[in-house]
Amino acid sequence: MRTMILALFFMTLLTLSACTLGVDNDQDSLTIYSERHYDSDQVLFDLFEDTYGIKVNVISGNADPLINRLENEGEDTQADVLLIADAGRLGRAKTMGLLQAVESDVLNTQIPAAYRDLEGYWYGLTKRARVLVYHPERVDERELSSYEALGEEPWASRVVTRTSTNIYNRSLMASMIEIMGYDAAKDFAFSLVQNFARTPTGNDRDQAKYVVEGGADVAIMNTYYIGRMMNSADPFEREVAETVKVFFPNQKTTGTHVNVSAAGVTKHAHNVSNAILFLEFLSSEVAQESFANANYEYPVNEAVAPHELLQSWGDFKAQDIHLTVLGKHAYDAAILMDEVGWE
Amino acid sequence: MRFLAVIKPRLHIFSIISIIASLLIILPLLQIVFGLFTPASDAWIHIRTHLLRGYLFNTMILIIAVAILSTSIGLFTAFVVTRFEFKGRQLLSWTLILPLAIPSYIAAYIYVDMMSYTGTFSRFFRAIFNAEHGINIMNMPGAILLFSLTLYPYVYMFSKSALEKQSASYEENARLLGAYKFRIFWRVILPLLRPALVAGTLLVVLETLNDYGVVEYLNIRVFSFAIFDAWFRLGDTAAAIRLSGVLMLVVFVIIFIERVLRGKKRYYMHVKNRPIKRVSLRGFRRVVYPGVLLLILSFGFLFPVLQLLYYARLTFFDVMNMAFVYLVINSVSIALMATLIIVFLAVMLANFGRKHDHILKRGLLKITNLGYAIPGAVIAIAVMLFFIDIDHRLYPIYRFFNPETRRLILTSSLLMLLFAYVLRFMAIGFNAIEAAYDKIGMKFTEASYSLKQTKLKTLLKVDVPLIQGGLVTAFIIVFIDVIKELPLTLILRPTNYDTLASSVYRYAREEMIQESAVPSLVIIVIASILIYWLTHRKKKVVSKDVRTN
Repeated sequence: MRTMILALFFMTLLTLSACTLGVDNDQDSLTIYSERHYDSDQVLFDLFEDTYGIKVNVISGNADPLINRLENEGEDTQADVLLIADAGRLGRAKTMGLLQAVESDVLNTQIPAAYRDLEGYWYGLTKRARVLVYHPERVDERELSSYEALGEEPWASRVVTRTSTNIYNRSLMASMIEIMGYDAAKDFAFSLVQNFARTPTGNDRDQAKYVVEGGADVAIMNTYYIGRMMNSADPFEREVAETVKVFFPNQKTTGTHVNVSAAGVTKHAHNVSNAILFLEFLSSEVAQESFANANYEYPVNEAVAPHELLQSWGDFKAQDIHLTVLGKHAYDAAILMDEVGWE
Repeated sequence: MRFLAVIKPRLHIFSIISIIASLLIILPLLQIVFGLFTPASDAWIHIRTHLLRGYLFNTMILIIAVAILSTSIGLFTAFVVTRFEFKGRQLLSWTLILPLAIPSYIAAYIYVDMMSYTGTFSRFFRAIFNAEHGINIMNMPGAILLFSLTLYPYVYMFSKSALEKQSASYEENARLLGAYKFRIFWRVILPLLRPALVAGTLLVVLETLNDYGVVEYLNIRVFSFAIFDAWFRLGDTAAAIRLSGVLMLVVFVIIFIERVLRGKKRYYMHVKNRPIKRVSLRGFRRVVYPGVLLLILSFGFLFPVLQLLYYARLTFFDVMNMAFVYLVINSVSIALMATLIIVFLAVMLANFGRKHDHILKRGLLKITNLGYAIPGAVIAIAVMLFFIDIDHRLYPIYRFFNPETRRLILTSSLLMLLFAYVLRFMAIGFNAIEAAYDKIGMKFTEASYSLKQTKLKTLLKVDVPLIQGGLVTAFIIVFIDVIKELPLTLILRPTNYDTLASSVYRYAREEMIQESAVPSLVIIVIASILIYWLTHRKKKVVSKDVRTN
């Protein structure tokens, strides 16, 4: 009988906690589905809460499960804002009818046209570039030129990058499809895979470590990981970050691949005006300072200077494409990478 | 409760609860079955032509290798600990379970870190052997080692408890009949051990099939990887569900093999339980055997924990704040609730299924075990769709109480997450308890029934004391599994609800392994304390039994 009583007790407890949890969607709250997990983001959300008296609820998770959840919840969703670290995925959410177009002069002045959806479905908040990271003792900067060149003879078994499942690589390929066309992009991917120093594995930091280790000479990776490694708690990671050098490819041709963290207002948002206010806040000068710089990303708001480290790498030319195409070619990019054997 | 016993012999507390539980488990899973009948999409055709063969091949290699390696480690350690006497035996006998306290994904993150160019091991090898390259563990052999090192305790626990219960009489008789040590092991000990060994290995295999954290990080293309890949990268839920269907088929085959291996015969202990005397180790064995055990423990537990402690020291003040305390409270309370529900239901189901007398009944029981075979994320989709459906049906009732109400009441509650945990981990609790029931047989229960005792009374007065060991085992492994669980928690947790596991993942995903150390350690410490407490509590019960004998 004791077991039964215990079980009953816990059933009651459970029902009680089920009732108390959850979020009230009153006028003064805002719920965000966020893929970004940085502690610095939370600090900003708290600042927003204090400034405007609007409570911010966050559900963080991986991008696709969040999008899937939004789709399943339909008009009952609690989410007002979807915040994702890849323009391609926001493009998908837009196509799936999960977002709504919003108009704001503030957003349009704070965010350059290239980094927001032209119809106002999503707005970019921070930029990151996918660059080449090399070992200065084994590679002369003058040898480096473009992504495409890494598929050529001199780079055999010297290139290293992540898997094809990684969104950054997929969006890179999507941008190449837009610029070069599907067939040329496939040829490029094929030649690049032939030059891999190892079967793709590990995260972005591991690629830089492999270069320092001597397994490869050039890694394709995102800018902010170098910044984060330079400030790592682990002294040996700091050493790696200080050894390698950063090169912005395709400066004389099509420009370096850039992606954004971006946010959109959900189709069934309860508090559209709060959501817009939130996006305006995140792209404002006050917020951009820490939103981008705490994570060594480039601010989208041109009035804000990037972090010193990023400034030390100098200005660069970004790909002249609109980021909506990343979503358009995402599926083709995935198929293409499978076909050329990019693991 | 008395009226239940009176109604009808077939409609008793076990059958009612079991049938309700299995229906609740079956309904969400039907989503996956229906998914198999949707027309093939382009993504599915792409997967079938380019990827499917590789997935099948890699999955087979991985589970076979992990099964063999973890069973060998588990059996060897259990055998040494129960049959030989040596210094530190008692300490090793419970610390060898500790690797179970480390989630495989944390082990993967920390091992890859230790083996990477900047990692402790690589620097050590460079300093000592002047080796140029680190050891690459981000491949299939690495995955096999990681899984075996973190999952072998399942085999160890089952084998150890079975070995301890084995009566000395069998071996003595075999020896009297002139059998040698080796022959005794193969012909006497191993067959008696088979149910425990097979149950432990089954858990290892299912756990391996379900993992996503490790295979994602090491880029090992197995089925769970494929399911997430189809869902995330190709954006095709239907293809993901199809792949889940194929995986379920593989699991059916494995469970079938398990049933065959376990055999029709039930190995009851008919002899009086007289424990075997442990032999003192002599000569080189005195050093080698404990040395090997220590080595296994070091790689499975000590090295990763030491590395995490070092990182925790570096990042402690960045991570520690009030929100962190809530993380701990959340993790513990939800794991406790889920575990109690699972153990309760597992006892009901095990009682319901003790006599495999009806094909429908056997089917129902198999279905309740199915959740363990399906990757967390797929269960998450299924459970979410199921709850949304329920909420829509209950909407008129909600509105009756509160006209202003939202539609999704249950969907945004902890109940959904708890439900998913139960669905997912039912099999673990059930298998542990079923194995305990297998060991005691039907004798005592039938004796109690023939004395006109009710089912409930028999359960509480006769069965529960007899299967106490099994209950404790079920409790440990289910609790640890829930507190380690990741994909379900990530997808189904309510707003503003974070757990330790989700915070470890958050840091690891952002490539902040150092910062993930503190929450990782808290999971490990909680699980370790639990293992300590329960292994030591168990001993007392055993000694009490001996005294009353």
